[in-house]
Amino acid sequence: MGRRRRRGGGARVGALPEAIAALSQTLPAGPSPEIFRRAKFDRPEAAPALWQLLFRVLSPPAAAGTRASPALGAQVRLVKSALCSQGYPRRVLARLPEDGSQGSRELLLALAWLLARGPLLEHLLAQTRVWLGDEIPLWQYEALASPGPPAPCQEADGPVDIRHLQWLMGTLRFRWRDLITSQQELCALLGKIHSYTRGCHSDRGLGHLSVAETELLRDPEGGRQLLQRLESENTRLEAALQWRRRELVFWQWMDTVLGSCPLQTSPATFLPRDPASGPGELELVARELRGLHGELQGAVEPRRAAWEAKAGGWGPEWSAAQRATQEAVGRDLAALQRAWEQGGAPAQPHRPCRLVKRDARAVEGPGLRAAELTGALRIRESRLETALGQLQTRCRQELARLAGAEPGLIWILPPGR
Amino acid sequence: MLPLDCSRREPAETLAAEPTPEPETDEEVPPPAGTPSPQDLRELELLTQALEKAVRVRKGVSKAGERHGALSLKSAATSRATTASAPPGASGQAGRRTSETKPPRGVHQTTVPARGLPECRLPSVGDRTRMGRGASTTKPRPSLRDQQIPPSAAPQAPEAFTLKEKGSLLKLPMAYRKVASQNSRLWAQLSSPQTSDSKDAASMAKTQFLQKMKTTSGWPGSGLAAAEVEVEAGLLRKACSLMRQRMEEVLSADPADRIQEYYSLLTLEGLQAITGQCLHRLQELRAAVAGQQLGPWPEGRCCRASLPCGGRTDPTWSPQLLFYSSPEELQSLAVLGLRVAMLDQQIHLQKVLMADLLPLVGAREPPGPPWLALCRAVHSLLCEGGERFLTVLRDEPAD
Repeated sequence: MGRRRRRGGGARVGALPEAIAALSQTLPAGPSPEIFRRAKFDRPEAAPALWQLLFRVLSPPAAAGTRASPALGAQVRLVKSALCSQGYPRRVLARLPEDGSQGSRELLLALAWLLARGPLLEHLLAQTRVWLGDEIPLWQYEALASPGPPAPCQEADGPVDIRHLQWLMGTLRFRWRDLITSQQELCALLGKIHSYTRGCHSDRGLGHLSVAETELLRDPEGGRQLLQRLESENTRLEAALQWRRRELVFWQWMDTVLGSCPLQTSPATFLPRDPASGPGELELVARELRGLHGELQGAVEPRRAAWEAKAGGWGPEWSAAQRATQEAVGRDLAALQRAWEQGGAPAQPHRPCRLVKRDARAVEGPGLRAAELTGALRIRESRLETALGQLQTRCRQELARLAGAEPGLIWILPPGR
Repeated sequence: MLPLDCSRREPAETLAAEPTPEPETDEEVPPPAGTPSPQDLRELELLTQALEKAVRVRKGVSKAGERHGALSLKSAATSRATTASAPPGASGQAGRRTSETKPPRGVHQTTVPARGLPECRLPSVGDRTRMGRGASTTKPRPSLRDQQIPPSAAPQAPEAFTLKEKGSLLKLPMAYRKVASQNSRLWAQLSSPQTSDSKDAASMAKTQFLQKMKTTSGWPGSGLAAAEVEVEAGLLRKACSLMRQRMEEVLSADPADRIQEYYSLLTLEGLQAITGQCLHRLQELRAAVAGQQLGPWPEGRCCRASLPCGGRTDPTWSPQLLFYSSPEELQSLAVLGLRVAMLDQQIHLQKVLMADLLPLVGAREPPGPPWLALCRAVHSLLCEGGERFLTVLRDEPAD
């Protein structure tokens, strides 16, 4: 493979092995370059390593680190389902046996597919990145609000189920309170460490040590391990940069791998699908949108009618003002649409933030200020509280309507908050 | 007496121990300003004795906690004195200055929990809970913190080294600094945009490869992956909340003149149109989900968590700096962040529960006891956040 000269593309002899070596070094638990070569020829001995690599790449980062990796069969199943839900186009993958003994070429294609679709290597590196600073959890919490995998449905069984639900909600409330108090304590301790180690960081911009750095000084063994982790991360980063310089060769090679596959002629087999799982979330969103649509309709119709009734009697300067208003509205709504299409509110940072203690007067340069963030969060908090209150009022009205049909009962509401 | 014994023991230990940290203290340690004269030493000795006496007096009346602070002060003071007499002592000069200026604070503001043992010669060796404690057992270890406290001080008080008093003297080791700066440099390189021609060629090759994969797969599917549907549903949810927010802003504002009235009207109509478009898109998604086999739902959140579609979040950002000025500010920020998350979750749960529980109330056979219990439970969950309950009284007609 390395001996053939390729015309065009400027690939040198030997560039491909370097590219593959860089790739295998960057990937976490990457297989050796030999595996890649064997996979091109669909050798069965290369298959298990590639299954394991794909499992490592596709499974959530927390799970991959902590518990022991499951058996090969379970890994194979998870890889198949993950690739399918990502939209992997080749159905051959779904037909591969679950003992993980075949299909190395297909797996190689799958890996290349993942690499081509997005910044996979950067993501993997970021997952295991060594953070040297302190941070508090300020990332977007929308992930918490989205539904997880649907639990098996149970028949509503009256009070028994409700009790369980109440217990769950109570546990949740307690856990939040616990989390908030421990976070407060953590912040107090961080403040102490930051102020005690003032003035000794080599980077003047930071000014004080973080917990990781202080621990490094206190515990030499842990410090050595931290250093080792940093060094191995540096090696991986260098390999990633090397890969970037050479990846064109890899893609040309992958073209040949794809070309050597037999064409798919048989119809694809359908994987069994759980019908109850998918539409759940869509249904919720649909309900919300329909509700909003109804409210807007209710607000628009009377206004439009009132406006039409007042129409007329306005001079020529009105038409200019009318056009200007229309354009302004168009621009505002377009900006609003961009806000969700681009997937992020500009005010909230997604990046991890390193905490730096600094006197309020002395802060300049790029970076976030805690006071500003606090202000933005307070606004958001009050908005959310209002929204929650409105929902609760709606429930109250609805329940009153349902219960009010029953005569002979007196409902005594709990004392107000 | 205890203190004198200790102080007599210290010089021997200090002299014996001094050579050990020497090889480890590298060029970071500032060399002493100069050998102090005998006059200085005598004065220092007198000062130390005076301090010891003060401490003894205080020891008689104070609690155990203060005793520890005094001990650390005393041992710090004596160790400074003895270090001065030894061959170039590690950071003794700086330490002496700080200890002399800090004595009142050291005694009053000790943060040491009472360990019950003010005795000079005995640290509990297993006691590792204090930050940066320089125990005597660390002498054989090539410890970096030996440069901060002479090991002789260690046996005296378990808390001789507190981050509070000596924190600003710490220095990160050179090896660590090199590796850390290399690390941040590599990350910066990785996240900087690449040179255009190589990047273009590579991305073109990638697109071609993806295209070929699709065409050779033999599967004529429309290409909507389950993960992509999920992402779109999230976007639509976000769109709904943003539009609702805008609608409320418009409805709550009082139009001052005709133009503003017209603006509000047009905005509302525009929002209505966009909502219609979103509903349409949603219908398309539902049709796609129902109409074609998308494959099994992924186990857990594996896909979403590990590979966000479209690379919307840049993984190689170097951390931003977040400046805060006081622990209270930091605390309020952290608590607010968590509260916002909690409210977000609560709202979502509220919507889900509303959708599931209200029909239950409507479906049951009133007014039997099970229905009443259900009503009460649902009311508390949905309307009071599960914190309060209402009471139901049966109003029997008086016979």
